[in-house]
Amino acid sequence: MDKPIMSAGPHIHSKDSSSRIMLDVIIALLPAAVAGVILFGPRAAIVILTCVVSAVLSEYLFNLAARKEQTVGDLSAVVTGLLLALNLSTNVPLWQCVLGSVFAIVVVKCAFGGIGHNFANPAITARVFLLMAFTSTVAGGAAPRFADAVSSATPLNLIGTEGAVLPSLGDMFLGLRGGAIGETCILALLVGFVYLLVRGVIRWQTPVIFIGTVFVCYLIATGSFSVALYEVLAGGLVLGAVFMATDYSTTPITAEGRMLFALGCGLLTFVIRRFCSLPEGVSYSILCMNVLAPWLEQWTRRKPLGGV
Amino acid sequence: MRKNISTLKLPHYKGTAGKAAVRIPVPKEVLLPMNMHSGQAAEPVVAVGDHVTVGQLIAREEGRNSAPVHASVSGTVKAIEPYAAGGRKTTAIRIESDGKMEHCADLKIPQPTNLDEFLQCVRESGVVGLGGAAFPVWAKLAAAQKSHIQTVLINGAECEPFITSDHRVMLECGDLIEEGIELLRRFLESEEYIIGIEKNKPDAIEQLTERFKDDPSVKVMPLESVYPQGAKQVLLYNATGKVVGPGQRLASLGVIIINVTSLVKTAEYFTTGMPLVERIVTVEGSAVKEPKNLIVPIGTSIRDLVEACGGLTEDPGKILYGGAMMGKTVDTLDASVLKATNAVVIMNRRDAEKIKPSPCIHCGRCVAVCPLGLNPTAFARAMEMENEDARAALLQKEQVSLCMECGCCSYVCPAHRPLAENNSAARRFIRSWESARKEGGK
Repeated sequence: MDKPIMSAGPHIHSKDSSSRIMLDVIIALLPAAVAGVILFGPRAAIVILTCVVSAVLSEYLFNLAARKEQTVGDLSAVVTGLLLALNLSTNVPLWQCVLGSVFAIVVVKCAFGGIGHNFANPAITARVFLLMAFTSTVAGGAAPRFADAVSSATPLNLIGTEGAVLPSLGDMFLGLRGGAIGETCILALLVGFVYLLVRGVIRWQTPVIFIGTVFVCYLIATGSFSVALYEVLAGGLVLGAVFMATDYSTTPITAEGRMLFALGCGLLTFVIRRFCSLPEGVSYSILCMNVLAPWLEQWTRRKPLGGV
Repeated sequence: MRKNISTLKLPHYKGTAGKAAVRIPVPKEVLLPMNMHSGQAAEPVVAVGDHVTVGQLIAREEGRNSAPVHASVSGTVKAIEPYAAGGRKTTAIRIESDGKMEHCADLKIPQPTNLDEFLQCVRESGVVGLGGAAFPVWAKLAAAQKSHIQTVLINGAECEPFITSDHRVMLECGDLIEEGIELLRRFLESEEYIIGIEKNKPDAIEQLTERFKDDPSVKVMPLESVYPQGAKQVLLYNATGKVVGPGQRLASLGVIIINVTSLVKTAEYFTTGMPLVERIVTVEGSAVKEPKNLIVPIGTSIRDLVEACGGLTEDPGKILYGGAMMGKTVDTLDASVLKATNAVVIMNRRDAEKIKPSPCIHCGRCVAVCPLGLNPTAFARAMEMENEDARAALLQKEQVSLCMECGCCSYVCPAHRPLAENNSAARRFIRSWESARKEGGK
């Protein structure tokens, strides 16, 4: 008979695990991925596959080369690849997808020590990197298959353009507009959001505060309810708010810090969209707030019960 | 309204709650360690070969926060031997039972007339914190000598998974709870008595509410069934809204907290004259054939408990004194039931194996779940620092010394990181660092 185990408590554990959390995020992203393939055609599937495979492969090879323990089993590389793909349009050449994935995994994540240690969201940073390097292919959204001319252009590029005709709010909600693979179908993103809430992977505060801030800012700035709603549905706001601004590694660890983080993201998105020359600001705002996250975390430290 | 600290919902595993405590057959022998309390070890006053009877003093209290030990069976002292099960080395008195359970003839019902005499009697009863802390009850009550205790908080929360012994005590010893409150009323002259019970024990709440319905000074308070509801700071806050500040003592707030079984055992001494020689122990866990609540003489081996529960279904993977969260492991079935052993949990190997930790993913669950609002990831970061002064500075800033090692952080960590273990290592480090610095300054 083996000796009974001696160990410190606790002696029971919740059923959660890191890989289960990542699996939940993947499951939550599936509706948006499927919607993307339906809306933009089979090439969307090829982009998704390319990103996921190259993300996983680059993490595997990095660990191999760096003689580190293999971590692809935690599924976080799958999440990164999937998120990056959903942030790209179907027009992107596949070699750029590969480059983006390798950049996300190797430079942004592994070089900083791997999961939990990176300060910037890998998928977002890679998207921004691609956006700067290959503006022409990455910035322009592809047109959805079932759309007429009206909904083919990326709406955020059109808002403010004299005489432009915008897709209806209903089309915007279903994703019948130009844009990145995973960002247009709001319905699918909300299904994923609800799933994450039910599974307890994220809390509602970050997405709701982020999106709410953008909405309220536009409501105040324009006085128009429909413009504010339009801004919420357009661009990558919902995708970013639900899946990227809730990333564990790159946001504050405290609940209050995460709320401030979301508020900052919302304000920056509004400022960039409305006052800067860029049409879209979700990625940049999340990236900026990533940098501020450690500071927000310090700033929102709670006074412990019985402490000072 | 004040927001309660509600932290962690755990599986309860309270399958033995409905099982009335049964007395086990007289064990062939008992082994009574001298350190069954939190303070200095007791000093044996018997010699090998002596005949002893139930309730007879066999070791006197010695030094700070010590407590006497009494024979729990009648028979012969076989040996006074080293004892190390559970970690702390000490000596233990082995008594071979004659099977008669003959009571000591010298026992008499104590008749204190004032607080000092009362405390002396409690001291002689050998009762310590029976919920697991094992702090001598008299030393706790002695706070009343310095400041008036307005509120006595009777802890019947029993928030730990698996344990139901306090629950059984509340159901089966209502008279003694009443007796105990009368004693405290007489000598401590406290105004308010709150019995805090988690809502997963509705029968105990109902019975005690009924019992004290005509006594406005006694309040039975149902508490949420969340862990660690029974921890000092949590219970105090949820029951009274008070908080013990840094460096402050509970009694300075006019409050003491006493475990319900400790109160009952104290009261029993004042009704029968019998010091603490037996208690209810919950025997549970995946390797136990028939989990039960047992009334056992202190010092009985875990092996005898297992036998009374129909044996084990498989080899023990882990043996715990106490519940699944804060329970302490022992590596042998020959270990004794101690005064503060409210439960013995024996898990099979599958339940006992720990999952290998993976890197922290910064999910924040440990921070969200900490009942005190501490940040276990900061402690982990500090403990990785090479520079001891920097490490100590971060630990002090993050106030690791407040940690009560309840284990919530480890429980929820999806990366299975040993956070609670790290916290206690950090607490040990900061204690030695601070004392080294104090000495260095002299």
